[in-house]
Amino acid sequence: MENSLNIHIHFGGGAELLFDKIKKHVVELPAARKYFPDTDIEKWRIKELLQWIKDNLLKERPELFLQGDSVRPGILVLINDADWELFGELEYELQNNDEITFISTLHGG
Amino acid sequence: MDLIQNLELEILELREMLKNKEEDLREAKRNKFSKSYDNVIGTKSNINIGNIPKWAIERYSRQILLPDIGVMGQEKLMSSKVLIVGAGGLGCPASVYLAGAGIGEIGIVDYDTVDISNIHRQILHTESDWCKSKAKSAAESLRRINSNIKVTPYTIEFKPENAVQIASNYDLIIDCTDNVPTRYMLSDLSIITKVPLISGSALKMEGQLTIYGYRESRNEKSSGPCYRCLFPTPPPAAAVGSCSANGVAGPVPGAIGSLQALEAIKLLVGRNRENLLVGRMLIFDGEDMTFRTVKLRPKNPKCESCSDHATIKQLTNYEVLCKMQSKEKDLDLNILPQSHRISATELSKSLNTQRHLLIDVRSEAEYNMCHLEDSVNYPLEQLYGEKFDLLVENIKNNDNVIFICRRGNDSQIAADKILKVLPDAKIKDLSGGLHAWAEQVDRRFPIY
Ligand SMILES: [Zn+2]
Repeated sequence: MENSLNIHIHFGGGAELLFDKIKKHVVELPAARKYFPDTDIEKWRIKELLQWIKDNLLKERPELFLQGDSVRPGILVLINDADWELFGELEYELQNNDEITFISTLHGG
Repeated sequence: MDLIQNLELEILELREMLKNKEEDLREAKRNKFSKSYDNVIGTKSNINIGNIPKWAIERYSRQILLPDIGVMGQEKLMSSKVLIVGAGGLGCPASVYLAGAGIGEIGIVDYDTVDISNIHRQILHTESDWCKSKAKSAAESLRRINSNIKVTPYTIEFKPENAVQIASNYDLIIDCTDNVPTRYMLSDLSIITKVPLISGSALKMEGQLTIYGYRESRNEKSSGPCYRCLFPTPPPAAAVGSCSANGVAGPVPGAIGSLQALEAIKLLVGRNRENLLVGRMLIFDGEDMTFRTVKLRPKNPKCESCSDHATIKQLTNYEVLCKMQSKEKDLDLNILPQSHRISATELSKSLNTQRHLLIDVRSEAEYNMCHLEDSVNYPLEQLYGEKFDLLVENIKNNDNVIFICRRGNDSQIAADKILKVLPDAKIKDLSGGLHAWAEQVDRRFPIY
């Protein structure tokens, strides 16, 4: 399909509890223009991915995953095993086969 | 007195005697070793064993053989002081290896006492340590492992008021704690005292490990991120799990604690930052046995704690900052008025005469482990949407509804949620939860 992307989404550290307890998801994102038809969005960035996750994977209690238009405090976001801060956080443009990890920090001991 | 009690008492006395004898032996050995060491130095010897005594070569030879450690490294370990905060699932394995490696001084802090549910993972405590101070129990075990090191137990709560003074005496802090407020405190403490922090955590089947506040030497600025660089804002309380509520597989903190000890050894012998978990985090998932090391962001140039523009110059109240308790056991909510609460004794009487709807709001796993007969499970964490509506319908047709949980906190939260939509509902909360039930009504019910 034109401009669709395969993305690996990984949840861990308890974040998976909000996603039917499934840690690894492989998803196909349609062309951004098709998913956001009434906007001028043309590319998938993390920002759009969060919206997609909210629409498609996150069924309940979004406040335990999202806060405002970003992820809630205490969740580490990794793009191909590196902190998303190194890639512009919400603005990072997704590439085919990227692995995006959302890992909740643990506090137990 | 019955046989069991008699034997228990006798064993207790024998243990006390044994402990004293062991202490005498350690003292005698200390004297002898330091003398024989002097002798070697005193008589001109043609044996070259570097700057450490013969017994140390013999004792630590297996690690001295490593190029990463060597005689120089061993000397550094023997003159190092490490503070371990938390004598639990992480602190036990971490301190075992550090004691074994011959760290000169180990301080171990824990205000808590040994509970039988700790022993599956807290490997320094045994059945006979039940109710003993964890710090003392750990210290005794460590001295048994290595009588050549100094072990200092701190049987106190590590707080902003005492933390700086204690930590300043050490070269390294190992974070083996179990709660968010203390983790924020240790990070700030590490920056204020300039003592690096090796932070480990474990829950269920997963673990995480990294070094915060790394610096080349005490005089230099930290060059790696601190906890606040990564997590400037604490997480919401509802998103934080604990070993007592969510469970943990013993070997998981075992693995993370052991690796904390390894990073400590490497850091103390002076391995450079490329070889240490600085700016990187190890993430372990025991479920599918994967270890991943991920790259973290660098130090935040605007960090409130560790940057040049830091505003945090002293420790603050971390329970306020995090809007969370550091001691789970202390949480004692009073959300509902007395008219909506019932004691365990009253409930037990009432159960004999009337039909009740018993709603257990603990997690499914807890409910499956043990529950009251005829109770139904509506986990608090699932009380929204359809499940919530279903429960509301169920309650509407009932005159006697009792909410139950482990300690009587979550049950109040759940009952309160229902009362907000059904203000006249005949709802009561079991005061003190199943713990109170076990203590006041039925001792056969497990307290966990
Ligand atoms: Zn910082």
